[in-house]
Amino acid sequence: MKFNTLLKKLMNKNESKDIAKKRLKFALLTDKLEIKADTLGDLQRDLVEVISRYFEIDRESIQIDIKRSEESSALIFNTPIISAISSRKRRGMPAA
Amino acid sequence: MDGKVIVVTSGKGGVGKTTITASLGAALAVQGKRVAIVDMDIGLRNLDVVMGLENRIVFNIVDIIKGKCKIKQAAIKDRRIDNLYLIPASQSDDKDVIKPENMVWLTNKLRKEFDVTLLDCPAGIEQGFKNSIAAADEALVVCTPEVSAVRDADRIIGLLYAQSITPKLIVNRIVPKMVENGDMLSHEDVVDVLSIDLIGLIEMDEKVVVATNTGTPLILQDDSKAGMALQRIALRLDGHPDLPVENPMIQKSFWKKIGSKFSRKN
Repeated sequence: MKFNTLLKKLMNKNESKDIAKKRLKFALLTDKLEIKADTLGDLQRDLVEVISRYFEIDRESIQIDIKRSEESSALIFNTPIISAISSRKRRGMPAA
Repeated sequence: MDGKVIVVTSGKGGVGKTTITASLGAALAVQGKRVAIVDMDIGLRNLDVVMGLENRIVFNIVDIIKGKCKIKQAAIKDRRIDNLYLIPASQSDDKDVIKPENMVWLTNKLRKEFDVTLLDCPAGIEQGFKNSIAAADEALVVCTPEVSAVRDADRIIGLLYAQSITPKLIVNRIVPKMVENGDMLSHEDVVDVLSIDLIGLIEMDEKVVVATNTGTPLILQDDSKAGMALQRIALRLDGHPDLPVENPMIQKSFWKKIGSKFSRKN
């Protein structure tokens, strides 16, 4: 390790390039998560279709969103369940 | 055998694409290849002045595509370096006059005449970029060790992969002293973030400004570090892919070298 670098570490001073790298990685991550508005709509339609095979859900009060924080991002899908669809009934259903 | 078409691109402007394209073309020509360099920046041409050929433009790329002239009439021959030709951009046309299929047609003609065709891509991801990558077999992505340039490079790399082109990276304007002090992203940091193969590292070099002032090819300037790095990149493009990439270092005095030997053990 170089003397200057060591001195900076000892003085607990952050190297500006470390800050650059951290900011860059975060920016690239969020760039890649950025999606068009229609994409979330399409996803919601597909999710509802799949979930409806197993549960009867309230289609009016579904919420879908991407939540971002410093460390990570999460897809939040919130839907009230009205009732489960029995397995017998499910088998009787035509494949969607 | 048909020649290959290589696009030099970056996303962000002002990172050195045009200088790099001109120098790589010159270096490849000196190595004995027949080289055409095409300025893809319609409306904002610059490659002609960087190459010192601005006074000899008669026809341009748009004239070729509109059928107003033959390729041979528009291609300007460099008088200092054999086998080096420039196809200039048009300065007056709108950038949308060329379509990707026009570029595919043009480059297919150029492949017959030239071993290497270099496309100097404009900044951005609009029409000029689309035209350039539609016609390319290979791509070189240029970035500087700055957050903004690396971010744009990442976007460009994604778009190139979508076209089934695996690009190689050039990190330009490295200041070794700042890297050593931890005040500039090192090339390892940049490669780590972008995760693509490196083809060359170019140090910040004042001789580039001098070469551009006079329109002289950088590789003809004596002991230009950037010029030497570019010659090595040209060799890697031309049959020597395994030539090691040299890391720009500070020229150290004897005592400093001893000092760094000892401190490395920490």
